[in-house]
Amino acid sequence: MREPLIRSTEDRIIAGVCAGLARHLNVSVGIVRVGMVALALAGGAGVLLYIWLWLLVPTAADEALAAERAFNPRDIAENFARGFGASGANRDGNGQAGPPGRRPVSQPLPQPGIPAQNADGTGTPRLLQRGGKEILIGAALVLAGGAVVAQIAGINLPWGTWLPVLAIAAGAVIAWMQLDDSRRSGLMDRAGATGAQGAVRLLAGLVLVVAGIVTMVSGSITWEAMWPTLFASLAVLAGVLLVLAPWVLKYWRDLETERSGRIRETERAEIAAHLHDSVLQTLALIQNRAGSEQDVTRLARAQERELREWLYRDKRQEEGKLVDRVKAVAAEIEDAYGHPVEVVAVGDAEMTDRHEVLVHATREAVQNAAKHAGGGISVYVECTPGRSEVFVRDRGPGFELASVPPDRMGVRESLIGRMERHGGQARIRNTGSGTEVHLSLEHPQEGTAS
Amino acid sequence: MTEPIRVVVVDDHAIFRSGLKADLDERIEVVAEAATVEQAIAAIHEQRPAVVLLDVHLPGGRGGGGAEVVAGCAALLGETKFLALSVSDSAEDVVTVIRAGARGYVTKTVSGAEISDAVQRVAGGDAAFSPRLAGFVLDAFGTAAVANVDDELDKLSARELEVMRLIARGYQYKEVAKELFISIKTVETHVSSVLRKLQLSSRHELTRWAVDRRIL
Repeated sequence: MREPLIRSTEDRIIAGVCAGLARHLNVSVGIVRVGMVALALAGGAGVLLYIWLWLLVPTAADEALAAERAFNPRDIAENFARGFGASGANRDGNGQAGPPGRRPVSQPLPQPGIPAQNADGTGTPRLLQRGGKEILIGAALVLAGGAVVAQIAGINLPWGTWLPVLAIAAGAVIAWMQLDDSRRSGLMDRAGATGAQGAVRLLAGLVLVVAGIVTMVSGSITWEAMWPTLFASLAVLAGVLLVLAPWVLKYWRDLETERSGRIRETERAEIAAHLHDSVLQTLALIQNRAGSEQDVTRLARAQERELREWLYRDKRQEEGKLVDRVKAVAAEIEDAYGHPVEVVAVGDAEMTDRHEVLVHATREAVQNAAKHAGGGISVYVECTPGRSEVFVRDRGPGFELASVPPDRMGVRESLIGRMERHGGQARIRNTGSGTEVHLSLEHPQEGTAS
Repeated sequence: MTEPIRVVVVDDHAIFRSGLKADLDERIEVVAEAATVEQAIAAIHEQRPAVVLLDVHLPGGRGGGGAEVVAGCAALLGETKFLALSVSDSAEDVVTVIRAGARGYVTKTVSGAEISDAVQRVAGGDAAFSPRLAGFVLDAFGTAAVANVDDELDKLSARELEVMRLIARGYQYKEVAKELFISIKTVETHVSSVLRKLQLSSRHELTRWAVDRRIL
């Protein structure tokens, strides 16, 4: 593997271009520098190439920043922690070296000791992400233009003309080379030229525009004079494009950094707002009620449930289905009685009128457990195609159905009677260390999702 | 009285570590504590504990948290058992750390006595399943006994399904044993075998279940 083309921040005379180039091409720095000076003497091509590379080639710090931006945090909590860490670092960096009036978010960490005029250079990594293709086209056009100019001048490709042209082309190619495959393909996608359709559209547009201009101009000038003029204009145009492109690209990139910074900012604000509305309020309440153990437990438990739902929600679980409804019931009773209710669910089912009955019966069973048994309550929901079951288990003293007086309607009516009227089943049994209510509903013809 | 079980506690919150140490009963001796992935790997290699109580979310390393610690101590998995401990009970966290090699999973809200029981169970070579983990297993392997699978690893036996269901319903091991008229040892054997399948199975449905939840 070849070293990536990165400007050196340690070994440098102006901007570290030569050292970076030397490492990339695996030759000694001295040779590159001498070559660069020689090119500079050959009609100033070296100077052009140097400035070009300076603007286009990122430094190691830029690369690190880009890598960090590409990092995809695993969950909200980590994202949250990272957000705060990164903002701290950013603030430090700007406070240290950023002159006033500079955009605070878009600036990469300034390197201490970099000369002031270099600050612009540091802010231009990966310019080629956008528009690298255009640069290549520009370079090719300049090359063609140079050839035409040479032909017109009647000189057979003298070195004085060729060297600068070649140098510019080489610069563009080298900068292009450092883009890896994924970046390159992303670029192609964006330019809309990957598909044959995009290419055809681009070509057709070009032909139309050129043909239009030619027709317009050809009225006053003869065709013989036309062609050289056309080529010369094209060459000038391409040259202007070539010079302006990096600046435009740099501007775009700044905009992009600022936008991503703003997105991060919004994300953090949203998290802060959520924490404020929920966690901070609850903590304040807990401090107020510190005397009552039951209140504190209940508040803590409700807050835990809410936060957990927000952070770890199973994305496949849909709202409004059976499991969601049972969880809502459990939360409600947990809040009302202060006993933790743990819901474990396997599969899920669409709500129907009969499932509505199942949810009601579940509420009754959980409420009974909370009222009479206390302590932790386990709820287990299992849905398979054709069958939904709910188990509600507590660790209370237990009771015998036979010993419940007939005038107590709760269990007999709400649970057993109701389930049986709707073709379901309710069984209550004493497990020896608590009571378990088993509710089941067969629904062979109804749509289910497991 | 047998020797206490030597345990390393790995968690990035000092308050939680000291609270946990106070809660664990006298069967357990905490020999070291660690707060980051690197510290944990170093402490475990130095102490060679019987059990590591491991938080799933840890700073340091390459961001892999508890699973990275287990991976970093892969050579010791024979003598050192990992029991994952977390406030999170999302499928992603639970299944990731179990597939990395942990032998059990308990949530931080359970009592010190329950954690001590789980530590002892894990130290004895068995698995510690919470109702939630049993729910994930049933969800991943399916609740019906499957007849036509090539690999024995890819399905749960009827008995294992029964055990998993009871654990998901909130039954403790001894209650499961009583319910099914089997010994606690047999329950433990079933649970260990389910754990092995969860760790090793490459069954299509399990993979799909995990991919859906972006776990593997």
